Amino acid sequence: MIDLLIAILRSGTPLVYITLAGVIAQRSGVWHLGLEGIMIIGACATILGIVATGSFALALLIAVLLCVAASVLLWVVIEKLRANPIIAGLGMTGLGLGGTALAVEAIFGSQATVSAPFGVPRIGDSFGRFGVLSIFVVALPVVVALFWVLLRRTRFGLRLAASGEHPFALRSIGGNPSAMRLAALVIGGVLCAIGGAELAGGSLQFFAQGMTAGRGFMAFAAVVFGAAHPVAAPAAALLFAILGTLGIRAQLLFGEKVPHDLLQAVPYLTTVVGVWLSSRLRGGGDGGGYGELRDR
Amino acid sequence: MPPDSPAAAVAALDCRDVTVRYGAVTALSGITAAFAPGLIHAVVGQNGAGKTTFARVAAGLVQPAEGEVSILGTPIRTGHVSESRAAGVELVHQSFALPPSFTVSEAMEFGATGRGGLFTARRLRRRWQAHLAELDVTAGPTQRIRDLPVETQQAVEIARALITDARVLILDEPTAVLTPAGIETLFDRVRRLKASGVTVLLILHKIREVLAIADTLTVLRAGQLVDGPRPAATVDEAELTRLIVGQSDPAAGRSGAGPAGQPVSPPVSPSVSPSGPGASPMVPAAGSHPPALGIYALRTRADSEGPALEDVDLEVAPGEILGIAGVEGNGQKSLVRAIAGLAEVESGRIMLGGRDIGPRSLGERRAAGLRIIPFERNTEGLSLRSSLWENWSAGALLQRPLLSPVRPDHLRRDCAAALREWQVRYHSPAQPAGSLSGGNAQKVILAREIDEAARLIIAAQPTRGLDIGATAFVWRALRAARDRGAAVLVISSDLDELFDISDRVVVMLSGRVSGRFAPPYSLTRVGAAMTGAEGAFA
Repeated sequence: MIDLLIAILRSGTPLVYITLAGVIAQRSGVWHLGLEGIMIIGACATILGIVATGSFALALLIAVLLCVAASVLLWVVIEKLRANPIIAGLGMTGLGLGGTALAVEAIFGSQATVSAPFGVPRIGDSFGRFGVLSIFVVALPVVVALFWVLLRRTRFGLRLAASGEHPFALRSIGGNPSAMRLAALVIGGVLCAIGGAELAGGSLQFFAQGMTAGRGFMAFAAVVFGAAHPVAAPAAALLFAILGTLGIRAQLLFGEKVPHDLLQAVPYLTTVVGVWLSSRLRGGGDGGGYGELRDR
Repeated sequence: MPPDSPAAAVAALDCRDVTVRYGAVTALSGITAAFAPGLIHAVVGQNGAGKTTFARVAAGLVQPAEGEVSILGTPIRTGHVSESRAAGVELVHQSFALPPSFTVSEAMEFGATGRGGLFTARRLRRRWQAHLAELDVTAGPTQRIRDLPVETQQAVEIARALITDARVLILDEPTAVLTPAGIETLFDRVRRLKASGVTVLLILHKIREVLAIADTLTVLRAGQLVDGPRPAATVDEAELTRLIVGQSDPAAGRSGAGPAGQPVSPPVSPSVSPSGPGASPMVPAAGSHPPALGIYALRTRADSEGPALEDVDLEVAPGEILGIAGVEGNGQKSLVRAIAGLAEVESGRIMLGGRDIGPRSLGERRAAGLRIIPFERNTEGLSLRSSLWENWSAGALLQRPLLSPVRPDHLRRDCAAALREWQVRYHSPAQPAGSLSGGNAQKVILAREIDEAARLIIAAQPTRGLDIGATAFVWRALRAARDRGAAVLVISSDLDELFDISDRVVVMLSGRVSGRFAPPYSLTRVGAAMTGAEGAFA
């Protein structure tokens, strides 16, 4: 049972961090489909950083800087070059997946997996069997709580929501929706770096090409499922993680009888059903978006 | 008129040579005007005259190409909302600008300046409760903006504007969405603000309202300052009309024949003066013809768009204009949606030209002669980002088979001809519909919806937000359609206009028909039917 719990926390934590990044972007008015790409940049930078510097703190700093840089790039493409955010996000995903593979190839001369001597610091043996969990896992409840306060109980959070829901309202009180989106993407970049670091360094301590395996899109689904709420969306992500982990367990138990591929598909099927359910429950979205009507 | 006459006190709002260009279009040219503090100023003009642009320049939302703005003697950097707000200018938009999912107290907080930081839900509620109570806003602080009736939304919007120490409050077309009672409440509110020392600028276009409340008048026409600010007492209704529409404007509300080239036959009653019943009411020929529209014991389900209809019975004969009066949100939208086939009908029948259209789709209903001028010009009536010709041809294209070839060049040519006929002011059929002013946009919808094959025309708030000239145009077009034999169903919250145009008036209250009237109409009796005998509905 404890094994199962640990497995769920380990697989769920990166997903929740990425989901938070998606939530803040969504609330500011950006459909963030670049989560996958920025996450893998964070994962790659963490492992390569550890290999290069021998320090986790430095490696995380590098990962954060790179993820923030990628987020700013995405913002420039969306807000300054006026590109469609969905296409731009998918482009960022492609850039992240391809760019990390290229980096590994360029540095190591092969596309093999890169292993690091250590990963994210553990909370330690004093916690018994939970000691193998990384600091990012135990920090998660605190981060989610702080995130909720930031989004729901500060003026910043209200303005962020306004920039997504009704940009003109924000402009009318002197705010700048574009700046709010930059802030959201930068904060999201930090969260993506942490999510990527946890994915590659939390339990695995290696980087492999495409190791995010669609987690960015699952996180995006959790954002939609959770209606971009700072607690509901992480909860949805955790639900996906629970079902995913149970799916893997079921694979070990019933691998003989149930097709392997079907069990592997469980988390993704859950996502689809979850998104469908959420749209049923909330009576369907309105597609969102108030145009700024130019009436004079 | 130089604004720097030494006698005047420091102006609350002083604009000099303000010019605004949107691309090739000059929206405002060289406006110089100074508004004295502590008064109610009306800025009037037709749609497209530049009133909203003027308000937005003062509020910092629009950066003028040239010109200076001073607030209470302090020059501000133009084009910065925060600068204008810091100087004490607040703007309440015509189409309100608060996020619909926000609670009332969140809507207050998000625009607040000064000390912010963390808050709890309770502290947020406490902080704004007193502010709302002070302004007599009835909305609870935890109600969501989208759940509020339109009058309350406006009151919340005004309360939002007054969270800072606003010295100059600009209201852009505040009466467009209000009922007569709502307008009275608003004007009371405005007068109280004036008493507390706030300078109020009202952007208006209804002459009667202007003369009822304004201390000074400023008239804009086609981006130019025509007159003012001058004391309202020195202007009468006739002169103000002349100033607003100008002499040469063909759409002026003067009596006589319609403008040349109009596709509609000469109007029966060209008068738009809100003075009692207008055209002689046509008594529908009973018996011989089926009514163009017959609604019998119609019940619908309540949905997010409005209340349920309960046992609604209506008939509109060919060649008749039926007016639907009522406070907004009492089932008018549900009625239109039911006739269009967009609402869920529980029981009852809807007959179009004697045929039950219950199972028919909107496309089939349109083929049978149903035409709709919808409530929301900018979202339901037009696709603002699509070109004029696409908008114009959408109705006809709907009737063609799915795979029938489309000839854009022909559509563009026909569209240009139609728009010329309907006197739409535009550059090219390829320009987006969103670039037209309200009146011209409505004319595009009229050009599409009023054709020879129209049997039943539903006109939902067809003149909302339109100026005198455009309003007269719309009424003329509807009368002409009536005279050609089409049935017209007009839904309006402007009783004066409704009385003027309707052959009969039906009042809706809470999804029911609460009164049926024939001319001469009594404002008191119609008003009583609108509010219900027990007065449960304000």
